[in-house]
Amino acid sequence: MKRLVAIVEDEPAIRENYAAAFTREGYTVRAYGNRDQAMTAFASRLPDLAVIDISLEEEPEGGFELCRQLRALSAELPIIFLTARDTELDAVSGLRLGADDFLTKDLSLAHLIARVNALFRRVDALRRPHEATQVVRRGPLTLDPERMQIEWEGQVVLLSLTEFWIVFALARHPGHVKNRQQLMDAANVVLDDNTITSHVKRIRRKFQAIDPKFDAVQTVYGMGYRWVD
Amino acid sequence: MRTRVRAALRARPGAVGSGITVSLRLKLLLLGLATLVLPWEGTRYAREMESALREGEQDSLGAVAQSIASSLQGRTDLLYREPVTRGVGANVSAGVASPAPAETGHPAGTPDSSAVGTGNAATSTGAATSTGDATSTGNATTPTGTATPTGNTATPTDNSAAGHSSASVAEEAPARGSDGSPVTAPQGAFDLQPLVLEAAPYIDGYPDEWPQDPGAWRHYRHGRKGFGILTGVYERMLYVLLDVRDDHFVFDAGDASPLDPDASGDRIWLGFSSPDGNEHQVFFSASGPGSLMARRVVSGEFGRDTAVSEPRISGAWQPGPDGYRVELRVPLSMVGNRLGVLIDDRDVRGAVPTSYGMLRPQDLHTQGRLIAASPELLGYLKQFLQPGLRLAVAAPSGRALAQADALAQATELGPEPGLLARLYRRWVDEPQTHRPLTASAFIYDRGRQSPIGTLSVTQTGERWLTLRDRALTRMLNSTLVTTVIAVVLMFVFAARLALRLSRLRRASESALTREGLITTFPETASPDELGDVARGFSTLLGRLNEYTGYLRTLAGKLAHEIRTPLTIVRSSLENLETEGVSPGAHVYLDRARQGSERLNSILLAMGAATRVEEAIAGAERVCFDLVPVVASAVASYGNAFPQRRFAAELPGEPIGIDGAPDLIVQMLDKLIDNAVDFSPPGAQILVRLRVEPRIAWLEVDNPGSPLAPQVRVRLFESLWQSRSDRDSRPHFGLGLYIVRLIAEFHGGTASAENLPGNAGARFSVRLPAL
Repeated sequence: MKRLVAIVEDEPAIRENYAAAFTREGYTVRAYGNRDQAMTAFASRLPDLAVIDISLEEEPEGGFELCRQLRALSAELPIIFLTARDTELDAVSGLRLGADDFLTKDLSLAHLIARVNALFRRVDALRRPHEATQVVRRGPLTLDPERMQIEWEGQVVLLSLTEFWIVFALARHPGHVKNRQQLMDAANVVLDDNTITSHVKRIRRKFQAIDPKFDAVQTVYGMGYRWVD
Repeated sequence: MRTRVRAALRARPGAVGSGITVSLRLKLLLLGLATLVLPWEGTRYAREMESALREGEQDSLGAVAQSIASSLQGRTDLLYREPVTRGVGANVSAGVASPAPAETGHPAGTPDSSAVGTGNAATSTGAATSTGDATSTGNATTPTGTATPTGNTATPTDNSAAGHSSASVAEEAPARGSDGSPVTAPQGAFDLQPLVLEAAPYIDGYPDEWPQDPGAWRHYRHGRKGFGILTGVYERMLYVLLDVRDDHFVFDAGDASPLDPDASGDRIWLGFSSPDGNEHQVFFSASGPGSLMARRVVSGEFGRDTAVSEPRISGAWQPGPDGYRVELRVPLSMVGNRLGVLIDDRDVRGAVPTSYGMLRPQDLHTQGRLIAASPELLGYLKQFLQPGLRLAVAAPSGRALAQADALAQATELGPEPGLLARLYRRWVDEPQTHRPLTASAFIYDRGRQSPIGTLSVTQTGERWLTLRDRALTRMLNSTLVTTVIAVVLMFVFAARLALRLSRLRRASESALTREGLITTFPETASPDELGDVARGFSTLLGRLNEYTGYLRTLAGKLAHEIRTPLTIVRSSLENLETEGVSPGAHVYLDRARQGSERLNSILLAMGAATRVEEAIAGAERVCFDLVPVVASAVASYGNAFPQRRFAAELPGEPIGIDGAPDLIVQMLDKLIDNAVDFSPPGAQILVRLRVEPRIAWLEVDNPGSPLAPQVRVRLFESLWQSRSDRDSRPHFGLGLYIVRLIAEFHGGTASAENLPGNAGARFSVRLPAL
């Protein structure tokens, strides 16, 4: 059965282009122009994944509200924000509402689809019984690439997809310095330096929420970051 | 304060505000000083007031003089001790009445004279006087008769006076006749006019207490002999000083009778008329230096003459330089209007004397007048006297008759003026200010025909000067206070105005900030013109702010608006790729994709400034060592820019910085980017970290073309670039703007300068160190 991807985007041309791309990838696509339409449809059937723009027709913040309502309907449903708004504040708000990723529209369709695929893989992996084989363990860190899940000292660290990929890229080869470009490639995003920096900052903060002494992600000034055991 | 302003002016040559400050304060100060015209004008006014007062005072003084003179009109009894008449009518009929002529008998001493004007009244008829003369002569004969023996002996008379005594009398007569009044007649040869003495001379024979006035002496000469006579009046006494030239003075024989001719030595005769007109003679004879006794010859019952002492007249004898001196005192009450002195000079005791002098030697008739005022005149004048006044009566000849003086007495006005008042007075006073005022008026005879004297009133200026000084002091004080207050107020006002203006200037200078324009402007609440200016500024800035706000957000809005259509283009292109276009079309598809990618990176760059500002705002501060951070960053640049060489000069000790190391590195990245862009391939870029106390300098030197002067100030502004596009990378001049933002975040500054010899550029960031 084909997976159902819901696209909520008020710009028809973009909506149709995305829909075409997803359809080509073999997904069933439902596209909505505003929040009411989307919620009416979601009430009858939840999609398997939702791609949401923040500003929806008359509602500048409609995407956030829609995300909140969707999250209320389903805790597991992967939600991706895809927006022209790229401020730090928007990203933080979106991720705090439970979105799995926050992407800007600079992202190419291929990257978008790669992410959607990855999210579906994670959903699948979470549904399957836990396989310990692929799990990477480094001290207090437990890294499960299949489920795209990271634990620190036995507790799950809730990371967005981009953040997971950044941590994954760093922790796979501890001590190796990864520069920003390498991290962007690993995360399948095109970001500027400051966005990478704020991603790293968020990652550290999430780990520090569990362990205040967390200091495994180090900055190598002028070069990038590295994981230290 | 002015130096400070000037210093400020020097420090800020372009600061218009300071220039205004100086001129405003100075101008208002000058305006304040303009009030000093008030005291100047005031002193002029005071001078005018003073001269007006002076004129008024002069007028009133004239009136006083006039009225006193009028009250003295015809009062020859006061002025010249003429016997009092019983009024004009009585005088007219006096021709018949015997007593009246008796009173006016003084000219009787000159029987040969017609004596027309002998009466007090100028209108007295010749007939009346002649009868008077007759009687008086009769009266007078008796004493003269007694004196005759001596008089006879004294045949040789003074050559100047007595030698032609009749001639001198004849001289007097027409004079009197023409004037109609004896008092106005010119002084005759035997007339005496006493001085008005300041103090009573002590009767001792010495002239010490007498005024030194050679003109007041009368001299009579007789051959080698002669004498000088000086008379004076003090209060009710007549004083006589005789200076007799006599090489051989003969004393009386002390024990003999004064009337014994054989015992007689030198003698002095004093002849005078009594107030009732009778003539009297007394004589003095000295038997040694010292006091003299006056004696009168009285005819006894048997025709025997006796010498009776006259105690009311006192005298003293002393030897003088050429002879001897005699000082006499006679009560004025005894004396009428005639007086004279005769010297009986003997070279041997008992010899026939040589008589000369002012009495007629034959009969001892008193030939000369005594022109002296009555003692009552002084009393009369004194009743008009006030402090600061002097009243004087003078004979027509100018000789003073009486003087009542209270000039030196302080007026009752005001205490001694204060220091300021004295200062003002010195300032205002002109040389003539303190001259006393004088007014005089003629005292006329009864018929108002001719003056019998002059009354002069003198008044010190003190009275009106005090008045003027009071007004002047009050006025000057108040103007001084007004000026001081005005100047102070104006200065305060100017200072406040300057303060407000400079506040406005500072506000307008610093109105343009990175966050936008400040629209909260000082002084906008003031209701005055300055408030209007401030409100105008505020409105202008508000509008400018809206506009710059619009401009500032324009890039972001534009980026945002462009992003959607760009996404449409890009997603459409990506979809198109999968649709299997022909290989020929693929070329165009690729180009379209490249174009859209560039457009996208432009959009990213346009939003970069906002993102940097956000990142800076959200940055966390930590304390860190700047040295390893810079070292590690510089080490990485070799890989990033293989075509440049990098060198680092780092200090040995750590440099503590409170800030965000990420941002510092980002700042260094931008500086290196800039250095790479402006240096030729293969060049060495030098990163230097210097430390001064509490200051860290991060410098990046790159060889290459120097910076143009006009560029240097704008280098660190947003969206500014001076380079021509050499590559396809979008440049929005954000790099150095970000450097500035990060430097400012750390409390530092960024600057650029040329390397020595214009070999390249140096970008420096000054950071406060811990």
